[in-house]
Amino acid sequence: MVKRPSNDLALCGECHQEIAANYRKSLHYTTIGQRNRVIKRMSAEEAKIFDEKVFEKSCRSCHASCGDCHVKSPAIAGVSLGLINKHKFVRKDEGKTCAFCHGGRVYPEYTGEYGGNADVHYQKGMMCMDCHTMDELHGDGKAYQLKEEVRDRPRCTDCHEPGREVKLTARVGHLKHGGNASCYACHSAGEYRQCFNCHGGHSEAKPGFYIGTSPRNRREITTLRIIPTVRDTFKPNGIRQANFDALPNYWDAPIHNIRKRTERTRNCDTCHEDRKGFLTMETLLKDSSRVNLELIKKPKPIPVSP
Amino acid sequence: MVNAKWKIMVSLLALLLLLPAAAFAAEPFVTTEWLQANLPKVTVLDVRKVEEYNEGHIPGSINVFYGVWGIKKGVLMNELPSDDDLKDILSAAGIEPTTHVVVVSKGETMPFRTDATRVAWTLRYAGVENVSVLSGGIEKWIADKKPLSKDAVKPKAKPYRGKFNKQFFANKAHVTGALGKAVIVDVRPPEFYKGEKKLDFVPATGRIKGAVNLPPALLYNEDGTFKTKAAIEAAAKPVVGADLDKEIIVYCDTGKVCTNWWLALHDLLGYRNVKVYDGSSMEWLADPAAPKEP
Repeated sequence: MVKRPSNDLALCGECHQEIAANYRKSLHYTTIGQRNRVIKRMSAEEAKIFDEKVFEKSCRSCHASCGDCHVKSPAIAGVSLGLINKHKFVRKDEGKTCAFCHGGRVYPEYTGEYGGNADVHYQKGMMCMDCHTMDELHGDGKAYQLKEEVRDRPRCTDCHEPGREVKLTARVGHLKHGGNASCYACHSAGEYRQCFNCHGGHSEAKPGFYIGTSPRNRREITTLRIIPTVRDTFKPNGIRQANFDALPNYWDAPIHNIRKRTERTRNCDTCHEDRKGFLTMETLLKDSSRVNLELIKKPKPIPVSP
Repeated sequence: MVNAKWKIMVSLLALLLLLPAAAFAAEPFVTTEWLQANLPKVTVLDVRKVEEYNEGHIPGSINVFYGVWGIKKGVLMNELPSDDDLKDILSAAGIEPTTHVVVVSKGETMPFRTDATRVAWTLRYAGVENVSVLSGGIEKWIADKKPLSKDAVKPKAKPYRGKFNKQFFANKAHVTGALGKAVIVDVRPPEFYKGEKKLDFVPATGRIKGAVNLPPALLYNEDGTFKTKAAIEAAAKPVVGADLDKEIIVYCDTGKVCTNWWLALHDLLGYRNVKVYDGSSMEWLADPAAPKEP
């Protein structure tokens, strides 16, 4: 008997040749994007230790065979949620096939079960694969090194073409903020999950909402999610992260709790006067990366005509 | 002869005048048999999660998940969306003020059962005239071997232009002003009403001062279906009285469960002035100055 036959890409590839070949190079399978991001905090020596002691044994261990999505949940931190539909292969059932892994943050935020406001697309019955294509999930055959290199990713403007807004206020708002603010910055409904101190011995999660300069596009403000890596995350492995301050502790995050109206779309003062949700020196994580300071953005008051 | 003609004309006029009243006559709780027989005439609104709806639903039903109707505002849960958002939701669902909507949720536990009653109350608040809840929920439909479909129905959007029934809603200020005048009904189990227990997210034990108790379980049979009108009336009358014009305010922990008694009192038993205190215990008991007991 073959133990976990759906873990074997070659076996699945006997029938699903193209998918298996693409998938072998995909970020879902290699998870190399996670590795390539985090090692920027490390010296060359530390990166070598990370590859040997952490990446292969921890990150890579649950990512992600064919069966991990189509038969059962992968074991995360030793816990598996079991089979999706008895012992049958399931083509797609996003509430399980996707949510088994993305059920900590993205999925419950999308349904409103975390944060309390269901995404407008979920309201209309849309599920993950109504936006995310099969090529995005299985890969397109290129061995990307980071998620941002992938061109074929969903964009709000694929469906919501700027300039076609019915209301003048919406059109003006989009014209004024286009290029300066991401869609999420205004249309994220509210709090989403923030995780702290992952692997640091005191991990916790709680709701939060942060807006600041996108670390990956400094011209734009957007929603930020806290990166739970702390200075001593890899200390037990002998990695002290010599270049910890090279990366921020917040990444730009596409929050899946979109609503047409939010307190920011209803009232310009929410951002321009009250600066509600904007990252500040006071709200910045303590003992965090120095580069976080560059993400603090102070929106200017709107000039009043005399 | 002339007299007979007059009588017929007056009778016809009276009938015409009564027609709008007849439009409000939807039974708030309907059985699976009734729904199956009336499927072509109603809009079935399934408020379960999208993935549950996709696995099998009442044929022809549309889906708008509960979390869209009852949202979180600050620390308060199960709050009304703003009026413009509510109109958008109704418009996208193709619901009109005259549509007879039958709300379907899961029926296995009280929180799921009251997903349906809370949405039904929200629809009534937004001005939908005829709203019912499927007694026993989807489990009863399945247990009764009624048909299921996997064909998702995309509603035809149309602008919603209903007139909101603001009188169905009470905020904290209104409740404060109504103390000692209105009947305040605590729709929680007796141990919560007595202050012996509380849920984690409710800031303190106790009840609104002067509140009476109508536990939610009094409405249901063991299988999760609603009791008969006579049984519900027998449970309610000794607690809220027989005056159909007296102001009644129902509340619970978050403002969700109490909507089952709102539907029973207002739409089933005909009490004309019943309100839901949306903030409920979460809001009231967070305020040390708000009168409470014990």
